[in-house]
Amino acid sequence: MNAFDHEELGRLIAALRPVPTGWVRAAQELPAARLAIEGIVSRAVADAAYRARVVADLESALAEEGIEPTPAVLDELRDRFLSG
Amino acid sequence: MLAPMAIASDEQLVARCRAGETPAWNELVERYSRYVYAICTQGFRLEDHDAEDVFQDVFTRVYTHLNRLRDDASFRPWLAQLTRRSCLDRLRSSAREALADEVEPTEVDETLSLLDDALTVHEAMAALSENCRDILDRFFARDESYRVIADALGLPPGTVASRISRCLDKLKPLVEETRAATRHGVG
Repeated sequence: MNAFDHEELGRLIAALRPVPTGWVRAAQELPAARLAIEGIVSRAVADAAYRARVVADLESALAEEGIEPTPAVLDELRDRFLSG
Repeated sequence: MLAPMAIASDEQLVARCRAGETPAWNELVERYSRYVYAICTQGFRLEDHDAEDVFQDVFTRVYTHLNRLRDDASFRPWLAQLTRRSCLDRLRSSAREALADEVEPTEVDETLSLLDDALTVHEAMAALSENCRDILDRFFARDESYRVIADALGLPPGTVASRISRCLDKLKPLVEETRAATRHGVG
């Protein structure tokens, strides 16, 4: 990046286009998702019936907590249940 | 000139994220979302469905591995490296790329270098007035026409081009300042 004529600045502004709707919010909700995951896991450890329900339908368990079931969150939850 | 004094540096944001401050995390994601998305789609040419998985995976890793970052001021190259690795993992695991010896697109370094410059320009834009930021983003990044911009911002259509030009004039020195600060490890 040597010269900053208008054309070059415009090209560089255009290089970072808006992210599709919902992606940013899902990423911003990660801290809340982590807390929800911890809550689900703790509850599943203490309640076998709840655990069976969660294992059968991870997405519904997350929906109950108001968390978007993104692949990353689902993978995390699966790992926790498989390893736990 | 209005220096970007009120804008938190990466170092400050990362420290606040580690302390569990949700607004800091929101700002960090907002600041880097376009960069990560662009690496996925322009650098590694991922389709949106793959790019979305990588995008969420990258920010999950950032959130969970933030404690592993040794130098908070190096957040940007660390994030670029995380994203690059995640894109490569996705390409390698993809059936359509299974037979390729080398999955990384040949000109990826060149593209990532351009995106790095683009991020510097966007960082500099943060020090512009909201009006200037908005009009430049609408025209260049969102591909909106003069007419659409004029309608959205309540401007006479004939003034949009000159406003864009004036905002670019204001942006120029800010980019220089941001580059200098980046070279000296500030922000």
